[in-house]
Amino acid sequence: MSRPDATRLTPRKLATAIAQGVGVIVCVVFFLFPAYWMISTSVDADAATRGAELIPSEFTLAHFHTVLGRAGFGRYLLNSALVAVVTVVISSLIALLAAVAVARFKFRGRTAILVMVLIAQMIPQEALVIPLFLQARSLGMLNSLLGLSIVYLAFSLPFAVWMLRGFVAAVPVEVEEAAYVDGASWGRMFWSILFPLVAPGLVATSVFSFITAWNEFIFALTFLQNDSKYTVAIGLQRFFGQNTADWGPIMAASTLITIPVIIFFVAVQRNMVSGLSAGAVKG
Amino acid sequence: MASPHTEQGTPATPGAPAGVPASRGRRFSSRRAALRRRPWLLLAPMLIVLAILLVWPLGRVIWLSFQNYGLRELNRGTTNFVGFDNYAAIFGDEYLYSVVLPNTIGLAVACVVLTVGLGTLVALFLKGLPTFWRYVVSTALMIAWAVPAVTGTYVWVFVFDPSNGLATNLLGSLGVIEPGTVNWFLERWSFYSIVTLNVVQHSIPFVAVTVLAGLLTVPDDLYEAAKIDGAGAWQRFWNVTAPNLRPVFAVVTILSTIWDFKVFTQMWLMPGGGGTNPQVFNLSVWAYVQSFAQSEYGMGSAIAVVLTLVLMAITLVYLRTLFKEDEL
Repeated sequence: MSRPDATRLTPRKLATAIAQGVGVIVCVVFFLFPAYWMISTSVDADAATRGAELIPSEFTLAHFHTVLGRAGFGRYLLNSALVAVVTVVISSLIALLAAVAVARFKFRGRTAILVMVLIAQMIPQEALVIPLFLQARSLGMLNSLLGLSIVYLAFSLPFAVWMLRGFVAAVPVEVEEAAYVDGASWGRMFWSILFPLVAPGLVATSVFSFITAWNEFIFALTFLQNDSKYTVAIGLQRFFGQNTADWGPIMAASTLITIPVIIFFVAVQRNMVSGLSAGAVKG
Repeated sequence: MASPHTEQGTPATPGAPAGVPASRGRRFSSRRAALRRRPWLLLAPMLIVLAILLVWPLGRVIWLSFQNYGLRELNRGTTNFVGFDNYAAIFGDEYLYSVVLPNTIGLAVACVVLTVGLGTLVALFLKGLPTFWRYVVSTALMIAWAVPAVTGTYVWVFVFDPSNGLATNLLGSLGVIEPGTVNWFLERWSFYSIVTLNVVQHSIPFVAVTVLAGLLTVPDDLYEAAKIDGAGAWQRFWNVTAPNLRPVFAVVTILSTIWDFKVFTQMWLMPGGGGTNPQVFNLSVWAYVQSFAQSEYGMGSAIAVVLTLVLMAITLVYLRTLFKEDEL
């Protein structure tokens, strides 16, 4: 696979270039289509009767006004943000401690812990939702956003530990040894030496925990029972009537949910690829 | 925290101040004991959380699967053990074999084959692209990957909307169908075609990016050598790429299998998938509907346990692969 020589255009190179051009177009259309269709519908004045037109004929922000004003979608955005932030803070803290344990210490049971963290990611939420629903119900925590955040730890934590383990291991031990020799206490070493060095990894992991909580559907569907507590994933359903769907507002709300995820995701993606191939979780 | 070294008996001394060694022996052994406890102290919060949120619920769902646990038991807080009755009911039900298993397995097989196949194709394509265009396509991949399952599903529901969806109108204007007369969500095959399209579109990026990362580690000389030996593109793929990427393929295939076996959100949000059309249930949706729509928590738990066991079996294969490749 040597690089094409740009100076001479042989028929063969021309054919390759055309094939690549077609491939690029096919890929871009196929992968960007849902995001494009969502955004273009959200600003389309005729969304309710939208036909096969690929470009909105009349631009409007009315659907966003409907969603944020009349329909009170802002409340759901706030709820989701709250749940996600609480999940991120708790899981990052706990995961960092655990990651240090498995990345820096050799101890009996270390492999068992790693295997457990991997297995934890495979347990289907459908199996956990039944007992956790019954438990939350008997504790009176069904409609609680905090309760939901705590439940989300079950999915964000194993992933965060798996991911951070790599970031901690990447910090050279010599840095810590030098600090130890200089007489730094263990806690000081943790916060002043290790923490800043792992910070980029921590940011990346936090973003993924945030997205997990932000996107989560099945527990939100089961746990949240009144409108004022809905997260975005559940709140969307309010725009569906008995037999009709109001596609303009639905796509406007979907856009509001999706844009922050895309921005976060694309921003930290590079850091994650290596870890993901080692077996973590789909975004 | 020079732990691994200290424990292995090679303390980091080079720059240590003189005069310490006198008391070293005793301090060292007490440090050792502290060091032995330290990893467990650090792990404790995680272990507690996972015990409460994973291990205990998993135990409870198994416990529930042996009970006839409905609204009555829920409200009175009583138990009603029925042994393996729930499992007997599931495995004795024709519905499992004619609807749920074909749906579950069919979807998983179709999605895994398409995701891994097309994902590999995209990865090979990306590798050959000039840097700028590779950047363009991989950004498109990232965006597709980032779109949440919930909103992505709504887009496809809109596209195939029977009254004014894009697909309906396009085919209508071509005269293939009469708009308003065709509802793809009602029929099993077309319903699952839409689910497959949705899931595959969303999962290809992970496979493509992972396989590309693997492809970039294969040394170019291997391809050069194969070329000199007269191997065509197809032969180079099977004789050079495939063997070198075996572990990567194993991981993406098994992870895709696990994810595609338990598709829930994409199904639930489609018309009829949310419990009204039993012809389109898979194991996940069936377990959920039994529990939360029928209030038969025992039965729902048993289905959930069956699903979990299937996923565990796949996970074991996954772990064996990981261990073989010495990734832990």
